[in-house]
Amino acid sequence: MSLNYQAVGWNRQKKIYDRTMVLGVLLYLGLFIGITATTNPTATAETLMIRGFGTAALLLLHIILAIGPLARLNPMFLPLLYNRRHMGVTMFVLALAHAVLAMIQFHAGGDQFPLISLFTSNGDYSSVSQFPFQPLGFFALAILFFMAATSHDFWLANLTAPTWKRLHMMVYVAYFLLIGHVVLGVLQAESSPFLAGVLGLGAAVVWGLHLTSAWLEKADDEEGNGEGFVDVCAVEDIPEKRARIVCLSGERVAVFKYDGKVSAISNVCRHQNGPLGEGKVVDGCVTCPWHGYQYRPHDGASPPPFTEKVPTFRVKVSEGRVLVDPRPLAPGTAVEPAVIAENAAEELSS
Amino acid sequence: MSEPERDDFYVGYFDQAPSVVGAFVKGKVLLLLVLVAGVAALLALAQGTFAPAVFEFGNVRDFEGVIATKPYPMLRVSRPGESPGEAPTWSRYFLVDPFKFGADERVANLDGKRVRLSGTLVYRDDQTMIEIDASKDIEVLGEAAGGGAGLSFGTVTLVGEIVDSKCFLGVMNPGELKPHKACAVRCVSGGIPPVLVVRDGQGAARYFMLADTNGGQVNDRVLDLIAEPVRIQGEMVRMDNLWVLKADPATYQLVK
Repeated sequence: MSLNYQAVGWNRQKKIYDRTMVLGVLLYLGLFIGITATTNPTATAETLMIRGFGTAALLLLHIILAIGPLARLNPMFLPLLYNRRHMGVTMFVLALAHAVLAMIQFHAGGDQFPLISLFTSNGDYSSVSQFPFQPLGFFALAILFFMAATSHDFWLANLTAPTWKRLHMMVYVAYFLLIGHVVLGVLQAESSPFLAGVLGLGAAVVWGLHLTSAWLEKADDEEGNGEGFVDVCAVEDIPEKRARIVCLSGERVAVFKYDGKVSAISNVCRHQNGPLGEGKVVDGCVTCPWHGYQYRPHDGASPPPFTEKVPTFRVKVSEGRVLVDPRPLAPGTAVEPAVIAENAAEELSS
Repeated sequence: MSEPERDDFYVGYFDQAPSVVGAFVKGKVLLLLVLVAGVAALLALAQGTFAPAVFEFGNVRDFEGVIATKPYPMLRVSRPGESPGEAPTWSRYFLVDPFKFGADERVANLDGKRVRLSGTLVYRDDQTMIEIDASKDIEVLGEAAGGGAGLSFGTVTLVGEIVDSKCFLGVMNPGELKPHKACAVRCVSGGIPPVLVVRDGQGAARYFMLADTNGGQVNDRVLDLIAEPVRIQGEMVRMDNLWVLKADPATYQLVK
């Protein structure tokens, strides 16, 4: 949680995460470059590195994009999401190495400034098969640069979470640009069906996971509208110290049950818009599943010295049913938790 | 925080992940590493085979021969031990400058001169190029007989790909097709000789330097046609061991 900023707030889990990630990157580069160099002795070092860094970045991008929906489908994957920003920055560094080497190799040392050459050397913008693929990679890299440069919590706080989130959703634009970069580039020269097959399989996995998680999330939404309190679920539908997510007037609300009480707060974490309703009440605080940001369930405020606040909702329990007023209160507004009646609690425990 | 509260709930800033989560993630990460290794091997092995093209980077040699500047700078080198007869007694090596530039300016006043120069070899199949070492002067040794305009073999129609000879012969590998198109445009624009690569049914390559009907350079007129299949009808001319295809670039046709 953000009280002050430092370059990286290292902890044991982040160190394990980063070590494993670096091991994976080195494993990939070592195998790809080693096998290519062994089977093709005339391949030049620049080509080996350009291909190695480029394919490593693309593979890492697929892994990054798969982690989000995987964690929604199975919370056991959440540790992979915890430090995903470092994976994103690593992916950008690999893509940058690929781009710099390609710029030197293909555009430097000629009769035109390399950046101008990038956009003008192949001018077939009206052709599909001959469409210049390198500018697509350039624009994707520009997006990845802005994402990497603003990945720190400093920017998250200063840009505000919704703006930061919108900026970082541009990763999907970068993904499509990179698919175009590969399909209109190297795949135009390579004849092996395995290369196109691997790319297609990667796209199928990424989008299959996204569509499945979106469909399940939509199916799980409890809809409620109208004035006054809305019946959202039975008390027994909410596991202890967990929440039920309901959609009220278009906004997701996390309804938590804990210590014989029920409270409702916004489902959207102030940090990265993480799903608070998929979190848990830990040490008396709602804890975000993504990065562990915490909020008190009765007033939606982070415990001191932290200052984050989320909107709260009035809630009551009647005849074993949970009722929520769909009108959000200002972030940090204290709301008396609804007490689960003694007999209802006994009914639940019997 | 008490352990029962955490059960399987992971919080990243706690030192220890819940045991059930830790075991799950370890298993999946190991699986992911195996997958990463598999993808690395598959992609490496699925790439097209790299051509036997060589750039002897860092290996500077001395060469002696006669400069020919038309249609592109070349060094004519006599073949030692060649028996007299039909076979050419001279070999022609393309001459280029470092990076993406031709050697026209460097050898402009040296046509027909016997010289000694330093450079790095680039070669593929029966084609050889010398990237001149720009840090050393070309030493003029004397005059020599010119190579002539070459021997005409009549009009032919050929289908192939226009490449920049420097990259294709080995400075970059692979130095052809669309991924290399932008670089080839840059090289040809900078004066590197454009060459039509024609493949026979077995994939073996034949090389034709491109010149206009007057034997002049065509670099600026072929930039839009590089790295695409083209059909060219023109006069086929042999210059020692090299072939030249003379045609008006305006008549080159893209093969759809």
